[in-house]
Amino acid sequence: MHAMSEFLRWLTTSSHWSGPSGIPSRLLEHVQLSALAVGLSLAVALPVGLFIGHTRRGEFLAVSVGNLGRALPSFGILAIVFPFALRYLPGSIGFWPTFIALFLLGIPPVLTNTYVGIQNVDADTVEAARGMGMSGRQVLMLLEVPLAVPLIVAGLRTAAVQIVATATLGAVFGWGGLGRFIVDGFALRDNAQILGGAFLVAVLAILTEVGLGLLERALSPRLTSRERGRGRVRDELAFAPPGQ
Amino acid sequence: MRYNRRYALGATLLALAFVAVACGSGGGTTGTTSPKGTLTVGVSGGFAENQIVAEMYAQVLEHAGYTVKRQLDIQNREASEPALKSGVIDLKPEYIGTLLLFVNPQASASADPAQEASALKPLLAATGITLLNYSQANDTNAFVVTKATADKYHLAKVSDLASVAGQLTLGGPPECPQRPFCIPGLKTTYGVTFGHFNPIGACDSATADALDAGAIDVALLCSTQSVISAKGWVALEDDKHLQKADNIAPVVRTSVDNAEINRLLNAVSAKLTTENILPLNKAVEIDHEDAAVVAKKFLQDNGLLS
Amino acid sequence: MTVTLSAEPFVRWSWVAGHLHDIRIHFVEHIELTVIAVAIGLVISLPLAVYSHRHRRAYPPVTFVTGLMYTVPSLALFAFLVPFTGLTTTTAEIGLVSYTLLILIRNVVAGLAGVPEDVKDAARGMGYTDRQLLWRVELPLAAPVIVAGIRIATVTTIGLVTVTALIGKGGLGYFILKGYRESFPTSTLIGGVLSVLLATLVDALLLFAQRVLTPWARASRVRAFA
Repeated sequence: MHAMSEFLRWLTTSSHWSGPSGIPSRLLEHVQLSALAVGLSLAVALPVGLFIGHTRRGEFLAVSVGNLGRALPSFGILAIVFPFALRYLPGSIGFWPTFIALFLLGIPPVLTNTYVGIQNVDADTVEAARGMGMSGRQVLMLLEVPLAVPLIVAGLRTAAVQIVATATLGAVFGWGGLGRFIVDGFALRDNAQILGGAFLVAVLAILTEVGLGLLERALSPRLTSRERGRGRVRDELAFAPPGQ
Repeated sequence: MRYNRRYALGATLLALAFVAVACGSGGGTTGTTSPKGTLTVGVSGGFAENQIVAEMYAQVLEHAGYTVKRQLDIQNREASEPALKSGVIDLKPEYIGTLLLFVNPQASASADPAQEASALKPLLAATGITLLNYSQANDTNAFVVTKATADKYHLAKVSDLASVAGQLTLGGPPECPQRPFCIPGLKTTYGVTFGHFNPIGACDSATADALDAGAIDVALLCSTQSVISAKGWVALEDDKHLQKADNIAPVVRTSVDNAEINRLLNAVSAKLTTENILPLNKAVEIDHEDAAVVAKKFLQDNGLLS
Repeated sequence: MTVTLSAEPFVRWSWVAGHLHDIRIHFVEHIELTVIAVAIGLVISLPLAVYSHRHRRAYPPVTFVTGLMYTVPSLALFAFLVPFTGLTTTTAEIGLVSYTLLILIRNVVAGLAGVPEDVKDAARGMGYTDRQLLWRVELPLAAPVIVAGIRIATVTTIGLVTVTALIGKGGLGYFILKGYRESFPTSTLIGGVLSVLLATLVDALLLFAQRVLTPWARASRVRAFA
C-alpha cells in the first residue's frame, strides 16, 4: 500500500527526529503538559474524593461531577478558553486552553474512583478499627486508603490515558505536542505525516495504559483465587504487547 | 481487516440511509420541483466570504426559477473538490490562484488573474468542471501587523520587514513553512526570515486574536478579512509581488451548466470587487449577521434580483 | 455597525433567537450521529460479546483489540481514516463506533456472566435450546447491565461527536468550531452547553430505563472507571 510505505518513510526520515519541531521535542511537549495536567487533576480530585468517601458527605456532588465530566466536550472547553487565555494568561499560544481542558478531563475518573474505592472498604472492618480505638484520620490513612489504592490507580490510569489522547487537540489551537503532526499534515495534505502523528500518539497512549496498568497491578493486594480468575482477563489485556 | 471491512460496509449503508433521510426532510425548500431542475450550491471552504458569495449564486438561481439546495458548511477544498466532481454539489465559488495550485501543485500562480484563469480552465475542463468569469474581488494573502507594531518598526511594505523580522514572531496557517507564498517565498523574494513561527490557522480569527493579544507580531491573514480594517491594522504592501491573485470565480459542473446559468453567475462576478465585499464580510464576521441576508441585500442593491 | 471585537458580549441572545432553525438542524444531526454510532456499536458488540461469553478464550483478544481502538485518540483515528474514507459521515461513524465497542462488549459480557447458573439450568431443563436460552433468559436478565453500558457509550459518544466538526460533520460541534474560528463565544457556548445538556438528558433517560428494567434493584451504585 502506497500510504503505508510513505508513512514508514516519514517515520524513518532522520530530519524528522531533530530540532524544535522534530519528533523528540514534540513528544517531550506532549508528555510534559500531560503530566502537569494529570498531576493537578490528582492534586485536586484526590483530597476531595478521600473526603467524600470517608465522610460520605457530598456524594451528590461527586456523582454529578462524574457524569457531567463524561459529557463535557474538551473541544468546546478549548474553544471557550482560547481567546481569554490569549489576553489574560502568559505563555505560548494554546498552552493554557489545552492545559485547562486536560485538567478538567482528569478530574472525574480520579474523583469517582477515589470515593468509590474508599466507600467499598468493608463497613464491618471500619467498625472494628474504630472499636480498636483508631481515630478517623487513622482509619482513613491506615485502612481505607491502602485498600482503595488499586481503584485509585485505575482512576489515575483512565485519567492519564484520556489526557494523553486528548492533548492532541491542542494543536488545533496553536499549541505543540504530537498533535502538531496531524494538524500540519492536514494543512499540507501530507497523509504520511498525518499517519505518522496518529501512530505516535496512539503508541504513547497505549504505553501510558500499559505502564499504569503495571503500577496498578504492583499496588494491588494479593487476590483470592476467585478474584484472580476474574482479574486475569484484564491483566492479559494490559500485558499483551501492543500492535499484535 | 475483516471486521474493519464489515463495519465499514455497515457504516456506509447506515450513513447512506441517514443521508437519504436527512435529504428527504431537509431544508426550507418548497416541495414543488421547478421545470428548470434542481441545483446544489456548495462552498470551497466553510468561511464567511465563501458562504456569502455562495448565497449570491444560490439566490440569483432561485430568482431565475431553479430549485436550489445549499451545502454551505463544507469545511475545506479537500472535501469540496471531490463533492463537486462527484455531483454532491453542482457549483461553488472558488479562488482561482489557490484552486490552480490545488489542482496542479506544480503550476505557477501569478499576480495576474487572467493568466491564472487561462491556466486553470483546461485543467478543470478535463475533470468535467467549467470555470466561469472571475470577479474583481481579490482575496489574497496579506502579512498584517498592528498599528503599534507598524509605527514601532516603520513598516508599510513587506520588504520593510527584512531588517527586523529576526526579532519578530510570525503566526499563520500550519502549511506556511512549506508553501511558496509564505516562509520560503519570504526568504527568497524578500530576504525576510522571522525569528519564530507559530502555526495557528488559515485566515481564521484565532490568528487575528493572537495578533490582537500580542502573542504574535505579524499574521498571515486573508486580505479581505474585515478584522484588519475594524482594528485599524496595517496590511503590508506586497511590493515584490509574492502573493498570487486569488480572484473569486464560480466553478460549475459542465454537465449541468447552460447559457442561462453562465449569464446569471457571470452577472454576479461582474459586480463583485475587493472593496464592496469587505463590508459584507464585516457584517457576517463581526456583526454575525446571516450570510443569506447579507447576500440578498447586495444582490438587491446591485439590481441582480430584478 | 460600530461593534468591535472587544465589545462582543459573552452571549448574544438576539443571535440565538434568530438561529433557532439552524440550531435545531445541528441538534438533530448530533442525535443522528450518536444514535447511528451506538446502534452499529451494539450490532457489532452483541455477537462478539455473546461469543466471548461462550468461549472465554476469545474474550482477551476481543477486549485487547477494542481496548486498542478505545485508546487511540479521536483526532488521530480520524486522521488515520481520512486518507482512506475521506471527509465523510462514514469516517465520523467509524471513529465513533470504534469508541463504543469496548464499553459495550465489557458490559454485555459482564451482564451475561451475572445470570445465575441455576436459572440457566432450569431453563435447559424445560427444554430451551441455546438460542432460546440466550434470547428468552440470558439477554433479558442481562439487560440492566447492558443498558448501563449503552448509557456510558451514549454519553461518551455525544461528547465525541463534537470533535467530528473537524472533518466537516460534528452536529453541535459545528457551533463550537464556528465560534472558535469567528471569535464568537455565543456560538461556542451554544454548541458546548447544548451538547452537555443533551448528554445529561440522555443519561437521565437511560438511567430511568435501567431502573425500569430492574424494578427489583435498589438505588444504583456508582460505577468506578475501569
